[in-house]
Amino acid sequence: MSLGFVAEGLSKSFGALEVLNNVSLTIKPGETVGLLGPNGAGKTTLINILTGYEHADLGSITLDGQSLNKLPTHTRAHNGLARTFQSGRLFSQLTVAENIALGALSVGVSSKVAEKRTKDILGILEIADLAENRANAISHGNARLVGLARAVVAEPKYLIMDEPAAGINEHESPILLAALKTVGKTLGCGMLLVEHNVQLVIDFSSRIIVLATGNLIYDGTPEQALSDPAVKSAYLGEMSLNITNVSH
Amino acid sequence: MIQTILNALSLGGTYALASLGLGLVFGVMRLVNFAYSELITIAAYTLVMTNQLPIMVSFLFSVVVTSLAAVLMELLIYRRLRGAAPAIMLVASFGLSKLLQQVYELCFGALPRSASIAPWMSGELKFAGVSITNASLITAILTIVLLLAMRYLLNKTSFGIQLKAASADFRTARLLGVRANHLISLAFVMSGVLAAFVGAILVVGNPQVEPMFGMNMTILALVGIVIGGISSLPGSALGGFIVGVILSLLNTWLGNGRVYSYSWLFAAVFIILLVRPGGLLSKGQEMERV
Repeated sequence: MSLGFVAEGLSKSFGALEVLNNVSLTIKPGETVGLLGPNGAGKTTLINILTGYEHADLGSITLDGQSLNKLPTHTRAHNGLARTFQSGRLFSQLTVAENIALGALSVGVSSKVAEKRTKDILGILEIADLAENRANAISHGNARLVGLARAVVAEPKYLIMDEPAAGINEHESPILLAALKTVGKTLGCGMLLVEHNVQLVIDFSSRIIVLATGNLIYDGTPEQALSDPAVKSAYLGEMSLNITNVSH
Repeated sequence: MIQTILNALSLGGTYALASLGLGLVFGVMRLVNFAYSELITIAAYTLVMTNQLPIMVSFLFSVVVTSLAAVLMELLIYRRLRGAAPAIMLVASFGLSKLLQQVYELCFGALPRSASIAPWMSGELKFAGVSITNASLITAILTIVLLLAMRYLLNKTSFGIQLKAASADFRTARLLGVRANHLISLAFVMSGVLAAFVGAILVVGNPQVEPMFGMNMTILALVGIVIGGISSLPGSALGGFIVGVILSLLNTWLGNGRVYSYSWLFAAVFIILLVRPGGLLSKGQEMERV
């Protein structure tokens, strides 16, 4: 059995609009991969297909050798695939602790274990004081952390994060990066970070893939991505980035 | 006055149970299940038809039959239509409701079937100069116990937390791993159990069961859901409770003018919705590109 989260030859069109064209990617166990691309590159469609929210016209997806192609979204989650959402997507009727515990409960973890995992992750992410707050009464940055915690308590094998830094300020960004690294280290799961904050992606990822107009145009190290002509042309331009502090 | 308040609370509690039963299914399927009316009706028919049995046995039998009917509804009709457009689901639930009314008519006749259900319930208790019917008292206690039990179930159990999440945002809940079929079937079972209680409470007050017995309660329970907030289970219960209390108070205060109770009730509903268009406990939902 081949270990890894593997997508091969994914293609998707909406009518005449081709959104993904023969895209393949692999995330190995424990690997941190960044996904970059301009708006309209197909990143969200790719995430939606990987998590079963949409289906590809062509291509296949396997998780540690098991085909996910025909599996519904909730079964993919039970098989070890978790995701976070662009806007947090917290349940406003539930408290922060309940929102987080739900991540574990919904994949069949017992209430007692879910409670312990929730307590642990609240401590790790240093948001324990928010536990009893309603989810709609916390800041945007904290909502991102809660969304991350909710995905983490499921103890997934692979975690997909959809723009966790969107809308957070420059002071919250380092906190988020530290949280992501802590989670990666604690869980040891494969992680795919989809993000517009290129610096965050470079600081976090050991490998980067870049999408442009539905095509995968780069798959390699962060350092090489910065000098890759296709990546510069399609996305980075003359962006000035710091890669001297990269520690993976 | 105390009798009036107790009656209002009692009727409010009954409507709260009915709204919660409807809200449970709406939450996980976004389905306005008009055939809920027929679940209330089958519960009442079962009680009448098994009247010769001890009341508790008869009631338990009614709970089983009604829950089973609710599950069959889901398995045979709604599961096959899952993912269909809301209008199709709505028409299907209308169709199922009418179909079941015709089936009841074929089985039990168009004229009301009646039986004396727990005649001791019509007795009165006198306390400090206040007369309270046994039925009002038992209904009030029963609804309080049931609502507390539902509150515990929704707030303190894994199933409840998953159900509340799925009610607020079913797609996100599924992406997190919530098992759709399992949750929906359980929601229908609970909806059926609540319908059985509502049917029992109604039939004690009015033991004349005919094919459209549950219709009025169901329509007003739907109004309660809208008032409370259509995606909120506590909101559904609160909305149903408000509808029941207003209706009961109007029926008492208007005296001979009670024929206009519904007009005043819907005037109150319009005012509530003008102030809170999404319902009393609604929350704005953020749109996302998923």
